[in-house]
Amino acid sequence: MIEINAQSIAFAILAVLTLGGGLGVVLNRNLFRGAIWLMVSLFGVAGIFVLLSAPFLAAVQVLVYIGAIAILITFAVMLTRSMTNLGERFVRRTAGIVVAVLLFFFILLGTILPVWGVDGTRYDDVSAPAENVATTRELGVALVDGNQFVLPFEVASLLLTAAMIGAIVIAREDEE
Amino acid sequence: MEVSIASYIMLSAVLFILGAMGVLLRRNAILVFMSVELMLNAANLALVAFARHWGQTDGHLFVFFVITVAAAEVAVGLALIVAIFRTKKSINIDDLHELQG
Amino acid sequence: MEASFDFWTHLPAVIPELLLTVLAVVVLLLDLYGGKENRRNIAFVSAIGLAAIAVTPLIWGPSEQQVFWGGMVRYDLIAQIFKVMIIIGASITCLMAADDSEVGHKGEFYLIVIVATLGASLIAAAADLIMVFVGLETLSIPLYILAAFRRDDERSSESGMKYFLFGAFSSGVMLYGFSLLYGFTGETNIYTLSQAFPAAVADNPLPLIGALLMLLVGFGFKVSMVPFHFWTPDVYEGAPTPVTAYVSVASKAASFALLVRVLLAVFPVTLVIGQENLQTLWVNLVSVLAIVTMTIGNVLALRQTNIKRLLAYSSIAQAGYVLVGVAAMQSQSDYSVASVAFYLLMYTFTNLGAFAGVLIFSETTGSENIKDMGGLSRRNPWLALGMTIAILSLAGIPPAAGFFGKFYLFTAAVNANMVLLAIIAVLNAIVALYYYLIVIKVMYVDRSQYDSQSIALSRSTLWVIGLTSIAVLLLGTFGAQPFFDWAAQGAQALLAL
Repeated sequence: MIEINAQSIAFAILAVLTLGGGLGVVLNRNLFRGAIWLMVSLFGVAGIFVLLSAPFLAAVQVLVYIGAIAILITFAVMLTRSMTNLGERFVRRTAGIVVAVLLFFFILLGTILPVWGVDGTRYDDVSAPAENVATTRELGVALVDGNQFVLPFEVASLLLTAAMIGAIVIAREDEE
Repeated sequence: MEVSIASYIMLSAVLFILGAMGVLLRRNAILVFMSVELMLNAANLALVAFARHWGQTDGHLFVFFVITVAAAEVAVGLALIVAIFRTKKSINIDDLHELQG
Repeated sequence: MEASFDFWTHLPAVIPELLLTVLAVVVLLLDLYGGKENRRNIAFVSAIGLAAIAVTPLIWGPSEQQVFWGGMVRYDLIAQIFKVMIIIGASITCLMAADDSEVGHKGEFYLIVIVATLGASLIAAAADLIMVFVGLETLSIPLYILAAFRRDDERSSESGMKYFLFGAFSSGVMLYGFSLLYGFTGETNIYTLSQAFPAAVADNPLPLIGALLMLLVGFGFKVSMVPFHFWTPDVYEGAPTPVTAYVSVASKAASFALLVRVLLAVFPVTLVIGQENLQTLWVNLVSVLAIVTMTIGNVLALRQTNIKRLLAYSSIAQAGYVLVGVAAMQSQSDYSVASVAFYLLMYTFTNLGAFAGVLIFSETTGSENIKDMGGLSRRNPWLALGMTIAILSLAGIPPAAGFFGKFYLFTAAVNANMVLLAIIAVLNAIVALYYYLIVIKVMYVDRSQYDSQSIALSRSTLWVIGLTSIAVLLLGTFGAQPFFDWAAQGAQALLAL
């Protein structure tokens, strides 16, 4: 079923990066290392975007997620630095939560496998040829085209403005 | 043969579960927050895989919006963390017990 | 792709949103250049501006009901009705905030309320998963900020944090549900999604059930449905009172509008996968959740001593009543959708009135304890009267509007042959009478240490309490039938897909 070729090797490496980073976030004892693990995971996701012929999103992922979001988190870790060594790693009722999460995982499997599993309705569907996937130009046009996504685009810009103003208001020390 | 879309979807499901575990298991606000980012990334991964499957751009645009919203969310979240640290000197969720009843 | 786009035909569908943006800019400029002493006037500018915008959906609109802006939003009467009540809720919130000593003088507060209102008004009309996601976050993220707006108050930042963590988690789950729906169909438009389901899942309903559950997590959080209600009491208590009022009315109304539209459009009655009718499935699920939600809300409300926490649990219970209407949607969908819309309309006025009373009470006495409200009728009879009308409406006693609100909801359940559900709802309403009436008793009969201290009402509070009381009484008497008919007309528009 799985052939060894450049793509599958790349996928395997990136999957290990993504999940390993994720595990690192969930299990580590040190906040700062957690932030580094998060970056590893985000980087893995960016690589997978490239494999899925979405190079533009991969670039956005690196710029925004790693360049801005992860760095901002690192700042927060440093600003609250007395907390970086966590005495207690997990909540106390671990067992119950693990059971709940596993249950959730099986729900997810039940949701995904009938469609994309080996016997699923979509498993054999041939993927669309890579050339069909959007160019950066198409994405750009779609964002400002009235028949496509201009409305959420404008709303998102307002949201960013309000979030920025609000973040400043609640985080700054009292003036006056 | 190419790596099937199903593999990508399974990868994203596992990443999503990891994120959900982090949210439910960890008590540190920043770590919970990082776990939420993992969940969002899992959704993005699935969206891009689906977009590849259907050969259209909607999924990519969805991801674009998710990343934008995540940036806004992160700014607000970190401002909250800083604000709460200033008053409490702790960002442990268990120490948030001013409100109880 | 390059279909022609006529800006002027699409413009009327988003006039309220456009004007909200303009108002946001005006408020921002006033805050910057208006001078410190005029800051409080920003409240009145925002309130009047919002009130004016609230009328626009009724006056302007596209000539026909259809989707606009590339399928992002749908123009129909029910969306307009929800927009009106959301924007009116925001307007009264701003008026109320003028009297809040901690947030009222900050221009940014009103700006962020307006942006949140923009998000709320968009999700009331959203017809595309992408728009739903962006709109929902445009509503939620400003609310996290607003909850934490009292910077030097530990309780406020704490409530913001809790709201944020719960909200981010649940919207993550919901987003994954959206991505699965997109994966099944290759569509993001909620009106066309369901047609592609049978091809995607053959005759196995499991995938759709999984996606449905994930959506319910996100929506359940927004409407504080059990088991996603944990944030509600803490956020209601810790957030500044005008924000609490806003969360309990505008945000909740918008989320219910979205919930109804998405459930009815994505899982329509015609959708049968394998042997399973998906609509029957979610209807049953929602009725169970309705029972659990109202019972837990009411039982926990019984032992509250803080008035804001009491109203928080009461609002969980009220969400349960609305879910009764949602659950009744299968057979008598027009009537049920209309009863939900009417309930949320009257709840907007009722809760705003109640919270305005709480705000002015806690501003003067510094207390939010129910027992400190003793003798309120002697300290300010008008305030006590306004609170009483609001609380009677919450309890569902005529002539306040809550009576007709509950009447329509429970009738919808009976019409849908869900008699047991209706009986449980009525029993719940009777239990709830107890804690509502205690508050009234405290105000009129009991005495407290503050008994001699009179409470002055500012002009803006007088307006808020007066307007909401009149609206509540009107909707509970002559207004009930006309407004219900209007909502029923809107409900038909929602279902005429």
